[in-house]
Amino acid sequence: MSDDTTTTEAETEAAPADEQRDALVERFRDALGDAVVDTHVLAGKDVWVRVATEAWAEAADVARNRLGARYFGFLSVVDWLPSPFGRSMDSEVDRVLAGEEAAEPPAMEQGVTGGSTRFQVLARVAHVGHPGDYWGVTLKADVPDDTLTVDSWVRTYAGADWHEREAWEMFGVSFAGHPGLRHLYLPGDFEGHPLRKDFPLLARQVKPWPGIVDVEPMPGEADDEDGEGAES
Amino acid sequence: MTAITDRQKLQYIAAQAADARVNVELETEGMTLNIGPQHPATHGTLRIVARLDGEQVIAAEPIPGYMHRGYEKLTEVRTYAQVTALVNRIDWLGSFANEVPFILAAEQLMGVEAPPRAQWIRTLLFEMARISNLILFLGDMAVQLGAVTPAFFAFRDREYVLDQIERVTGGRFHPNFDRIGGLKDDLPQGWLADTKATMDKVRSFCDEIEELLMGAEIFQARTRGVGVIPPDVAQQYGLSGANARASGIDWDLRRDQPNGMVYPELDWKVWTHPDGDSFARFWVRLQETREAASIVEQCCDGVPGGPIMAKVPRIIKVPAGEAYVSTENPLGEMGYYVVSKGDLTPFRVKIRSASFNNVSIAPWILRGVYVPDIITILASLYFILGDIDR
Amino acid sequence: MGLGLVESGKMPKPLTKLLSLSRKYSIWVYQWGLACCAIEMGAAFASPRYDVMRLGVIPLPASPRQADLVVISGTVTDKMAPAILRLYEQMPDPKYVISMGSCANCGGPYWDSYSVTKGIDQILPVDVYVPGCPPRPEALLEGVVLLQERIQSEDMAERWRGAPIIVE
Repeated sequence: MSDDTTTTEAETEAAPADEQRDALVERFRDALGDAVVDTHVLAGKDVWVRVATEAWAEAADVARNRLGARYFGFLSVVDWLPSPFGRSMDSEVDRVLAGEEAAEPPAMEQGVTGGSTRFQVLARVAHVGHPGDYWGVTLKADVPDDTLTVDSWVRTYAGADWHEREAWEMFGVSFAGHPGLRHLYLPGDFEGHPLRKDFPLLARQVKPWPGIVDVEPMPGEADDEDGEGAES
Repeated sequence: MTAITDRQKLQYIAAQAADARVNVELETEGMTLNIGPQHPATHGTLRIVARLDGEQVIAAEPIPGYMHRGYEKLTEVRTYAQVTALVNRIDWLGSFANEVPFILAAEQLMGVEAPPRAQWIRTLLFEMARISNLILFLGDMAVQLGAVTPAFFAFRDREYVLDQIERVTGGRFHPNFDRIGGLKDDLPQGWLADTKATMDKVRSFCDEIEELLMGAEIFQARTRGVGVIPPDVAQQYGLSGANARASGIDWDLRRDQPNGMVYPELDWKVWTHPDGDSFARFWVRLQETREAASIVEQCCDGVPGGPIMAKVPRIIKVPAGEAYVSTENPLGEMGYYVVSKGDLTPFRVKIRSASFNNVSIAPWILRGVYVPDIITILASLYFILGDIDR
Repeated sequence: MGLGLVESGKMPKPLTKLLSLSRKYSIWVYQWGLACCAIEMGAAFASPRYDVMRLGVIPLPASPRQADLVVISGTVTDKMAPAILRLYEQMPDPKYVISMGSCANCGGPYWDSYSVTKGIDQILPVDVYVPGCPPRPEALLEGVVLLQERIQSEDMAERWRGAPIIVE
């Protein structure tokens, strides 16, 4: 759908860079064919390319060896499930700000370049080292809901090793071909995948966010209350 | 704690005897050396498990996570204003620099831009954060090599920079000063002149370090040719910042992607070094400290008048969308991938911190080096634990 | 019952006082730097501006076995906590703990995190809490001074019997 979203400023300056990014998308399409599912160009800023799940490893190979994005930025996962817990911050001030209606979570909705699965893997690679010719691209792919497995990038970008271990630990997404998915951050007996949206922060469940209870009343507010704050 | 039975004692003695026999025969059995998690010379806790053959490392693996605080989860339950207070503490030596990319990402999603004065002051404080960070590196690197004096120099001169940061932001090194659309406050009176005077101190500190260390034979012998990273490997592992530039990669996000900052209007230089060894990394950072001092001075001269906040709503709800913005932080490329659903809180924030990638090269680079060089290499890669573990 | 004069409480008062005074001004402090607070601790201990040694505190013991005091400065995670406990067990009695910073006191800004220990006092006894995020070096020095006052006034016999120490 490679459309331009509304850019308010710097439209004129951004035009050449935009061409460059469109050309980049075309080169991805040439190399990967139908495996490029969707793309999105934010004029003058950024570019997203979503590829099919099977082409995830190939996309890395194309980006690095054919398009010259030899710099590995990061690799991560997004869990698109709307959080069943909300912010766990049900203090009075939040209810005023957010409105009462936020009772039921909205439908799952994938972000830029769409998607159809709960988990999406995304990675950032860039072309660096040549002054005046710097670009970066965010690659995305769906993670199948049944297997929760995508191909590993370690063979192409050695630096993906730790990132994939982190993603495995935090989301429970496996990477086929990774040399050893072990715990990176958490102690070995940790249960659950913390960055999944349905992982509760227990401290917030046990002790709700105190909100404004500790705050001294504002000068005007103390009058219409029963004046507890003013007395003490 | 269970009591040790006699049987266990006997087993222990037998094992000790077996070990002693091996030692007598001088067989170089592989040995596992556990460094850390805590070491008096570090601030933070990284554990390295190294398998040794004699004095040589066969395989080494850092075990991070002793400092993992779960930032990415916590950002999901905090409002945008609260997130900046939190992300200060990722790279705690250059805190202001952590806020900037997050604020820029939020600004990109909201379509607001800070007024010129705020951009100039942002650049100014960004470089002050870089100086306060790199000064400690210059002192700390020497400590790791056994020279204690530069650390005292570093702490002494860092205080002057922190004083200036404190005068503006109120915090010695967790300023929480950047806001979506501008800055919290304006500069205090007389601050710019004092800052320029402080930069003289920074520059004389750099000269001092250069005289003290760069020419020293021991320092050269211990750093030259130690831990060489070829540019291609550096890119594969995602090394950024001074580590990449010391490998000859001419890349600086301040020059190549100066979004929301005023670097194109300033006169400065990107320093690179072709060698890629520990010495090169030290040298590049030393030059960068000087360059940062010069940038700060230019900013002091060039700050225009005007407002420091753009018009933003009081309660910030960032429109739905995704943005990745990265800046050239003291440690390297730091970026935030912010996914917003139009709420008070971000939906997901992926924090791309520089040290995480910089240290992930350790298993590759530590293979085959000698034990004393482990410390040199890790010190020259320069990581901050909060930046690895987040 | 091989208790000595001090432990059994039969020490003459002036001698106890002298002993406390000596202990007060020869604290060897082990630095357990964990996070941001470690930098402020470093500034307090190593920086010429703050200079903890003028208080009679020596910040450079080679190992916890030689330390009287440990400053836990920074965020304690659940992965780190066992190592801290092990360090504490290695220290010889009498030993003191300063918990520096909000994270070590109560979890601080990570009060709701899934991986942070909410307060070091869950696993070991703390003598002085220094609040702040991070506390200024002066605040840590204040904490050290408070601890010294406590050492001056404490009764070693009480401590040996395991009774809790009461500080005014």
